[in-house]
Amino acid sequence: MSNAIEVKNLTYYYSEGTPNQVAAIKNVNLAIEKGTMVGIIGHTGSGKSTLISHFNGLLKPAEGNVFVDGEDIWQSKETLRGSRFKVGLCFQYPEYQLFEETVFADISFGPKNMKLSPEEVRERVLEAAEFTGLRKEMLDKSPFDLSGGEKRRAAIAGVMAMKPQTLVFDEPAAGLDPSGRKELIKLIQNYREKTGCTVVIVSHSMEDIARVAERVIVVNDGEIAADGTVDEVYSHSDELRKMGLNVPEITQIFSKLHDMGYDVPGNVYSVEKGAEIILNLIGRGCR
Amino acid sequence: MSEKLIEVNNVTYVYEPDEEGAPGYTALSNVSTHIDKGEFVAVLGHNGSGKSTLAKLLNAIYEPTEGTVSVKGIVADTEEKGDEVRRIVGMVFQNPDNQIVATIVEDDVAFGPENLGVEPSEIRRRVDEALKSVNMYEMREREPHRLSGGQKQRVAIAGVLAMQTECIVLDEPTAMLDPMGRSEVMKTVCRLNEELGITVVLITHFMEEAVLADRVIVMDNGRIIDEGTPAEIFSKADFLRSHGLDVPQSTELCRLVGIDGCVLSVGEAVEKIASLIGGAAG
Repeated sequence: MSNAIEVKNLTYYYSEGTPNQVAAIKNVNLAIEKGTMVGIIGHTGSGKSTLISHFNGLLKPAEGNVFVDGEDIWQSKETLRGSRFKVGLCFQYPEYQLFEETVFADISFGPKNMKLSPEEVRERVLEAAEFTGLRKEMLDKSPFDLSGGEKRRAAIAGVMAMKPQTLVFDEPAAGLDPSGRKELIKLIQNYREKTGCTVVIVSHSMEDIARVAERVIVVNDGEIAADGTVDEVYSHSDELRKMGLNVPEITQIFSKLHDMGYDVPGNVYSVEKGAEIILNLIGRGCR
Repeated sequence: MSEKLIEVNNVTYVYEPDEEGAPGYTALSNVSTHIDKGEFVAVLGHNGSGKSTLAKLLNAIYEPTEGTVSVKGIVADTEEKGDEVRRIVGMVFQNPDNQIVATIVEDDVAFGPENLGVEPSEIRRRVDEALKSVNMYEMREREPHRLSGGQKQRVAIAGVLAMQTECIVLDEPTAMLDPMGRSEVMKTVCRLNEELGITVVLITHFMEEAVLADRVIVMDNGRIIDEGTPAEIFSKADFLRSHGLDVPQSTELCRLVGIDGCVLSVGEAVEKIASLIGGAAG
């Protein structure tokens, strides 16, 4: 399978060339296969956001290379520009980046930059709006008249309208209430199922990552500390805690029961699954 | 009877339409509640339910359109009384980077008391004490921008403590933090409440944080729709979900497997489930 994004021997320094120079990313190697859904976790300041800012050339590596769709993005102006359209980055609290007079104009900013025809731009805006659940009449409003959750979706629609091959979200659900959080994660899942695009989600929510990611990458101190399935990574709860992370409550419950010698698996990540296991167990015990 | 620190009486708050044509709206409609001295109250509600507006009324950042908010009997209807209220009720916001003003941790904590014209020796004493109570004393000479999110929020809390406020209102203080930062901040908040008797109002989207409170207020559509102990509130899973909220995973698991009562913590869930499975096996 080919890679959507590959970084080779990537090193990046903050305040490069000054006495305060610190390595934010240290010789990282990483390949993200096309069509996968990858979660990136790590404490604040671990280097996650710095890492993903390299995926479409927002930051230039001090050492090493970044490949998007097999091409070294820093080899020419064209490849760099191309990477901006192939990899869509949606930052934390993207609603603060809305700036146009109408929601429509805001969502069309990206596709317009791609030099698409006005009809094509319109089509993409409508499609992205529909996908993110923004009603048609909202498109003529000022983005500042939308509610917080609607603004967030408008900002995400702006990135989706560029139809990037890879979508990278930095904390997409931060600050949302529980149902808003669930809806947003569902929206990203649906989008991926429909388009088959590659998705990278950076999050502090161990619950959300457990729910959606096929592969989890743990970034710690500018390096990749772990990389594997949810099972492989979440089974090291002590190491995760040392890195400022944790595992979901449901996982803590099952891992404790398992350690106490009860006949339950230690690796449970959803409440539904957990309840099913317990109900089966007491059903069997009664027979 | 417990002493009321803050009383909210029939408060309505209307955001006026702005010059650019954004329509005005009513964020709070006829809300009445009170916060007792020494109490830890959590406020839940989906985005746009009126939680943050309520918070800003509690320390006189906003003035009610109708009704009154009184803090120890003071109604902030003048600038001076507003200042008086803010000396009693301090506020910590969501974004740690927006509320730090100085380049050294201890200077930041001293900023509030300096503005109040407190004696330098007294400031020194208060800053040290405040930093010790949030476990940041060792880092008093550090630069705030080099701290983690959880550490920055604890410095912000120390800044409020150094003003000798009796009550802290925290508006989603952990929304931007990693799991460790969240747990550091929540441990600090609980300790201040239990050991120093500081009254706490915590606005949050994290149900497992609300569980730690004495009382939970649930808001929707600018009104208080329910109020009770965490066990009372979190036993109503369907009700909470219909208002955009949820229950902690421990609570939900125990409910789904038919355990009676409202389980609120991992430890309690482990205990109850162990005896359920153990009982079934035996």
